[in-house]
Amino acid sequence: MISTRKFLRVLFGGGLLAPFLWLIGKRKSRQAAFLWQIDPDKCIQCGKCETACVLGHSAVKCVHQYAACGYCLFCSGYYQDKRIKFDTAAENLRCPTDAIKRKYIEDPYFEYTIDEEACIGCGKCVKGCAAFGNGSLFLQIRQGLCKQCNQCRIAEICPSHAVVRVPADKPYLFKRPPEVKT
Amino acid sequence: MIPILAQARFPAPEFENYILPQLQMETFIRDPIVWRVSALLLFLVVTGLCFYRWRSAKAMRLLALAGVAIFGFLFTACPCPVGMFQNLLAAFVHDHPLGYGLLLLFAIPLATALFFGRLFCAGACPLGAVQELLHWKSIQIPLPVDRALRLIPIALFLLIVVAVVAGMTFPLCSLDPYLPLFLWSSSISTVAFLVLGLFVSRPFCRYVCPYGVLLRLFSLVAWKTPAITVKICITCRLCEQGCPNGAVLPPEDAPTADLQVRGVRRLSRLIASLPLALCLGGLLGWYTAPIISGHHPAVRLLADIEIHQTNDAVEAFETSGTPLAQLQNEVAQVRHIFDWGMPLAGVLLAGVVMAELIAENRRRKESRSYTIDPSLCFCCGRCYAACPLNRKREPKEGAAS
Ligand code: SF4
Ligand code: SF4
Ligand code: SF4
Ligand code: SF4
Ligand code: SF4
Repeated sequence: MISTRKFLRVLFGGGLLAPFLWLIGKRKSRQAAFLWQIDPDKCIQCGKCETACVLGHSAVKCVHQYAACGYCLFCSGYYQDKRIKFDTAAENLRCPTDAIKRKYIEDPYFEYTIDEEACIGCGKCVKGCAAFGNGSLFLQIRQGLCKQCNQCRIAEICPSHAVVRVPADKPYLFKRPPEVKT
Repeated sequence: MIPILAQARFPAPEFENYILPQLQMETFIRDPIVWRVSALLLFLVVTGLCFYRWRSAKAMRLLALAGVAIFGFLFTACPCPVGMFQNLLAAFVHDHPLGYGLLLLFAIPLATALFFGRLFCAGACPLGAVQELLHWKSIQIPLPVDRALRLIPIALFLLIVVAVVAGMTFPLCSLDPYLPLFLWSSSISTVAFLVLGLFVSRPFCRYVCPYGVLLRLFSLVAWKTPAITVKICITCRLCEQGCPNGAVLPPEDAPTADLQVRGVRRLSRLIASLPLALCLGGLLGWYTAPIISGHHPAVRLLADIEIHQTNDAVEAFETSGTPLAQLQNEVAQVRHIFDWGMPLAGVLLAGVVMAELIAENRRRKESRSYTIDPSLCFCCGRCYAACPLNRKREPKEGAAS
């Protein structure tokens, strides 16, 4: 009985060591940590990012790439499709939490800034911007907020498989120009 | 990070005196895995000392509290060793990235179990620690029910292995009901498990946790097992009643000749029914395979496309422009894995059930004291406190073998 136990112990111990040896043999896995990120080219702004994250207040936020923005007077990310008037009354705005701040620059241009405290990651503005604007708004997992779950809950249910792993030194994914797309 | 975008319907205006705001984005994210692993090692050493050297139930409770604070909140509960077998498996099968840190997280608790039993479960496991703390009054589960329910983790373990091989990401991680708690949020299962845990000790550990299956297996052959008391047991039964996890084994009488004859008869019946049991297990797997594989996202997507349903997934698939044949190919592969994996898992499960029944029947040594089954013991120390022989404090009580 004692010797059986000892034998099994050695067997199990060997089983535990095996994956280490395998990993040492296979050098290329020795990479830095991997993070979750949304590939904006795949995302269809389904709205699940708002609720799927384990955090009560989703780690997904809208990000504005200013350099690509048209600074439009009638920003389609800012205004509803069926707005009554182009004014800043809540019923005319797309964002449910009024997280998009608009600042006059010079006639007729406006700068749009996302208030990340207020943004809930619903993607409504992103959809509007992609449909009629330059597509300069997009959703990203803000790495400072994300808890790096072993399995991102959004990745699990994302209908377009847009949540992918990225290396730790490239924590964000930007849109690719059309010619790079395959 | 050169900003280039797909659409450019409106050219960017040329401003005279306007500075383009910079995106505030981190360029590197620090990985605290080294700290996580070191903290785990240190914590296990302290747990071992508290449990084997000082033999104190109070210390074990404090450790659970510390475990919640350190491994629950300080290091956020995820990734934790419980789910790491999925990463390991995915690394083998799908070339999923795996670092030494995560592998160590997987291996350290098991190596500890191999020598000292399930010390990890006492406090270093954030899930176990929170269950240990939020437990109020124990309801003892009747042994047959307990034994039947204990098969769930084994079935779940096998199921998750098949699912991970089939590429269903990490199902266990979303099963974890306690993770939202550490992030100051909650879900229906969190509340359900917490309420259940008030009355049933460690409901997740005993009846869900698939990593516990590995810990059970490894601690079966543990080098050192805890003794309830270092003195001679007076068989008062108090420890058995005191253990909320059903891990205290009663004394065994010496087998009588009559019992031995009955035992041999039972054993031969069991062995004769072994092939039948294995076949039944395989059949169970065969019948459940299509049900489980139906939850695979690719399979579900193809099914939706075939019945012309429109939903987000179908829309995303259509906009991505992936050829349908590629999806069909993937689905065929997934189905193939489930069609083989599930019956295999069923056979294994049946094998485990039969092995348990047969082990029940083995010839036992006569024992005159209550002992701890290391494979079921979560090292909470309650039995130490329950035993009347441990009450009279004697200074410098050494650890028992
Ligand atoms: S769940 Fe996926 S598709 Fe939906 S908004 Fe999030 S990343 Fe985009
Ligand atoms: S519309 Fe949604 S995603 Fe866009 S800024 Fe508002 S809350 Fe964020
Ligand atoms: S990894 Fe976790 S915290 Fe981060 S976005 Fe996904 S679910 Fe939210
Ligand atoms: S049984 Fe599982 S969940 Fe419970 S303490 Fe052990 S490893 Fe953690
Ligand atoms: S230390 Fe183990 S055997 Fe003793 S009461 Fe706790 S779980 Fe039961």
